[in-house]
Amino acid sequence: MKTVYLCENSIEGILSGVYAAWTSRKGHANVKLGLIGDEDTMELFCQYEEVPVNAGHADKVVQAIREKISEEAYIVVYKAALSKERDRGDKIYRFLIYGFHLGAKVVHMLQVPEVFEIFQICRNIDNETHLLTGFVRFVEMEGDLLVSRIGPKNDVLVLLAPHFMDRLSGENWVIYDENRKKAVLHPALRPWFLVDLISSEWEERMKKASDEDEYEALFQCFRKSISIKERTNPVCQRNHMPLRYRAYMPEFSHGLKDS
Amino acid sequence: MLIQEELNVQEKLEILSDAAKYDVACTSSGVDRKGKAGTLGNAAACGICHSFSADGRCISLLKILFTNQCIYDCKYCINRCSNDVVRTAFTPEEVCQLTIQFYRRNYIEGLFLSSGVLHSADYTMDLIYQTLKKLREEYHFHGYIHVKAIPGADPVLIEKTGFLADRMSINLELPTADGLKKLAPGKSRSKILTPMKQIQKGITANRYELMEYKKAPSFVPAGQSTQMIVGATGENDFQMMMVAEALYQNYDLKRVFYSAFVPVNQDSSLPALPGGPPLLREHRLYQADWLMRFYGFQAGELLSEDRPNFNVFLDPKCDWALRHLEIFPVEVNRADYYTLLRVPGMGVKSVKRIIAARRNGPLDFDSLKKIGVVLKRALYFITCSGRMMYPIKIEEDFITSHLVGEEQKKVWDIGSSGTFRQLSLFDDMNVPALTDLRGVRL
Repeated sequence: MKTVYLCENSIEGILSGVYAAWTSRKGHANVKLGLIGDEDTMELFCQYEEVPVNAGHADKVVQAIREKISEEAYIVVYKAALSKERDRGDKIYRFLIYGFHLGAKVVHMLQVPEVFEIFQICRNIDNETHLLTGFVRFVEMEGDLLVSRIGPKNDVLVLLAPHFMDRLSGENWVIYDENRKKAVLHPALRPWFLVDLISSEWEERMKKASDEDEYEALFQCFRKSISIKERTNPVCQRNHMPLRYRAYMPEFSHGLKDS
Repeated sequence: MLIQEELNVQEKLEILSDAAKYDVACTSSGVDRKGKAGTLGNAAACGICHSFSADGRCISLLKILFTNQCIYDCKYCINRCSNDVVRTAFTPEEVCQLTIQFYRRNYIEGLFLSSGVLHSADYTMDLIYQTLKKLREEYHFHGYIHVKAIPGADPVLIEKTGFLADRMSINLELPTADGLKKLAPGKSRSKILTPMKQIQKGITANRYELMEYKKAPSFVPAGQSTQMIVGATGENDFQMMMVAEALYQNYDLKRVFYSAFVPVNQDSSLPALPGGPPLLREHRLYQADWLMRFYGFQAGELLSEDRPNFNVFLDPKCDWALRHLEIFPVEVNRADYYTLLRVPGMGVKSVKRIIAARRNGPLDFDSLKKIGVVLKRALYFITCSGRMMYPIKIEEDFITSHLVGEEQKKVWDIGSSGTFRQLSLFDDMNVPALTDLRGVRL
């Protein structure tokens, strides 16, 4: 009978799940990794088992990946754990089976379907991170605080933070992920940290600050005058800047399209 | 000339960004620089686009003119001295404030500062230098700066500016000296090429200096670029590509930009373009430019004196491949990097992935698709383990007719942006290149 290991939605949770499934010695075909809280339909003739987060176990898996596969493979696994993919846990497990078998070269073996899946996940998350390094918009609030709101599909906050930490090292800034209700906080000249944030009062304040910011109006005016009328091409614009990002950008506060 | 003194920053920004919009260089790429604790800004080599304007072009830099007053009378330019437009100028303080405040809010990646020529080239260059100095030294801005060198300015000023900027550019504007004489009477070829040579030499010298002293200040670390206007004068594509190639080889340029001519002035010496700006031609030039920079092609391979213009129906790479069918099909599992790069439908990324993946076992068409190869173009030119995807005749007419059908929609989209027209079964897009098509079955 198949056993589904339900793990918590975090890198540690997933790697604890990998450890539990691997060491159960039931055979790779007989185990599967799921996520707690995932609204997937339950399978018949399956045994469900919840795996508590165990930092020690997760650490062992990390060590094994770094030593027996490669540092690059660890980065790949870490990113995949942040993805929006629903069965990311299981995909990471399948990838690791090949990884421990083949060693460092596994990350380049795109002809293996399990590797390709992970490659695709990483590409998606890298692309979204890169786009967001450009599309994040800060609003200045009282007390020199820069606040930004994003709604990414993948959990890119931790990948985004180092970029802005390097760039805006002397500023106090916050990036708030609306979909996951968590935020990266960065006090000036200090390292950033991750917190869970659920507060609606916040959004009110942001909206108010945004209305008062004179530079927002200036930027809107700049965007308008920089475009060449004879070359208008909304499809090209949409390919480069999908509509879903625009809802969080002040220059599209009047509507998602340039009229 | 109408000079407005009491404009507020918003009005100035509107006028001076509107005047700068025909400059196409908006890239923020080419230099990787870490931020410095407590100061603002860094630079990423890949470049970051922060927004896209309604014409689909990226906005990564705050692209403005310092002033739109100008002593020259270039026929194609909106700011020529004979035009009656509102003239204004920023102060260095205003430029710095705008840059810093936009940058903090992550609207932009840096500053792109160009300018009309006010009083003299030296005077203007000095203004630009003062602005950059203020931005770098008083405001401690570490982001990307792209600045125009004014042709004819004192070499000392250009050098001093180069140590503050990341990229410098001087626009060639028109590919031939004749065209320049006709449309830009105030400028000459030598006036443009002299500072270009100076910057090139500065970059090379600086590279050696940096090898010895790591702390030496860097001179134009992201290289220099230039821009040519497409379709304002009678040059053909072959001439444009030859000029671009010469610039890449002799002047070490990072980029040559092409800008489809948009008629902003009424002038008897300018062409009338009833079908809108030559966007498809610009697109083909960029495609060819990429082939030269990343794919190891030479201008002479793509075009020749006898065929001076690009095929309207096919992209330059497909066009080249069809004329060299003797080297195809290529075996994906064995061919070397440069051979694979010449296969239509394969790019730098996919070829690199192929090379990495095939070390660990043979590839089939299915895995090629996953790797990112565009099979609808590539399938005519490759074999996997000795087999083609479908039984295909390696025959020019046959492959051309298939590739053209696939490219046609794209050509239509680019060539006729904004205009709507009934598509006809018979070709009536008044394409003169029909004779070049070598038996396309329509």
